Amino acid sequence: MSVWAAEAAAKLPDWSGAWQLRGRGESRASATNGGPAKVGERNLPPYNPAWQKKFEANAELAKQDRFPDPLSFCGIPVGYPRVLNLPDSYEFVVRPERVWILTENGPNLMRIYTDGRDHPAADLMWPTYTGDSVGHWEGDALVFDTVSIKNDGDTIFDRNGVVFSDKIHVVTRLRITAPDTLTADVTVIDPGALTEPYKIVRQFRRIEASARVYDYACRENNRNPIDASGKTLTLGTDGRVIDLAK
Amino acid sequence: MLRPLRSITLLLAALSMAYAGTGSAHHSTGMFDQAKTIKLVGTVKQFQWTNPHSWIQLDVTNEAGAKEEWSIEGNSPNQLIRLGWRPGTLKPGDNITLLVKPMRDGAKGGMFVEITLADGTVLKQYDR
Repeated sequence: MSVWAAEAAAKLPDWSGAWQLRGRGESRASATNGGPAKVGERNLPPYNPAWQKKFEANAELAKQDRFPDPLSFCGIPVGYPRVLNLPDSYEFVVRPERVWILTENGPNLMRIYTDGRDHPAADLMWPTYTGDSVGHWEGDALVFDTVSIKNDGDTIFDRNGVVFSDKIHVVTRLRITAPDTLTADVTVIDPGALTEPYKIVRQFRRIEASARVYDYACRENNRNPIDASGKTLTLGTDGRVIDLAK
Repeated sequence: MLRPLRSITLLLAALSMAYAGTGSAHHSTGMFDQAKTIKLVGTVKQFQWTNPHSWIQLDVTNEAGAKEEWSIEGNSPNQLIRLGWRPGTLKPGDNITLLVKPMRDGAKGGMFVEITLADGTVLKQYDR
């Protein structure tokens, strides 16, 4: 390691260990628009009329247990910013030139470049699940900017129906705000779907140092496939559907 | 193989509860009747310590005296191990009692919330 790299590394915060999302981000949502969201909850996004309609249709599908959720398909990454809304543990690998967010609930991985580079030129970018993230340190806070996120039907924010358009741009501020507490202040800027920026707070608590992070291969034994209507099925050990209701 | 003392298992379970996860999130839990908890007493046919869910195949004798097999799903191994569960917690032939959120449609399936082993050890699916 060069002297420069060693000095830069010494200034970085200690985000070692494994972390767990606080609250039940997937399922708990306040019913009203606006107002400050509690940690682990979210308010409804300030949608424009067209996307409000789209959200309401999604919410209706969710009520019927038929809202398509990539997390349940056992295949594609959940995308950003839903990466910060997962049930299993997280690791944050901090180096001077880059930060990685590794999620136990895979396959999800965020790479955040902190070596001073900017987003690629437009002709070098195409929408991907996690997009392109560049960041910098403001004291002990990592501030990063994520663009080029594949969206508009490809990814969702949670299974209660929140979605964003392909114009989504996210600014995230990550820092330790209390002992063993890492807070993510997330601002979603989406002129395609929102009338103003939408703020989400996610908080992670550090779990005990000896905890291991495990393999999560969703297709290992997925006995809950989704049928063509979006319904989650249950299979017996012989692979036959055991559901009685159609 | 050495079996951990029951008191140690319970202590581990208690310690683990401080940071256990947020529960079944691989798929919507809409198919389970969250308002209902049923008690199933039976014999373990198979314990699948797998992702995205672990499964207990339980042989239960119904009220008519016939044997029926239930498929009960729970959290993934990474979550369960932090709650005191182990891959060897259940073996075929073990007699257990399960508290289960049953499937709404009456199928012989559900999601386990709590288990009582033959020696009285209680393990939970959630940290609450």
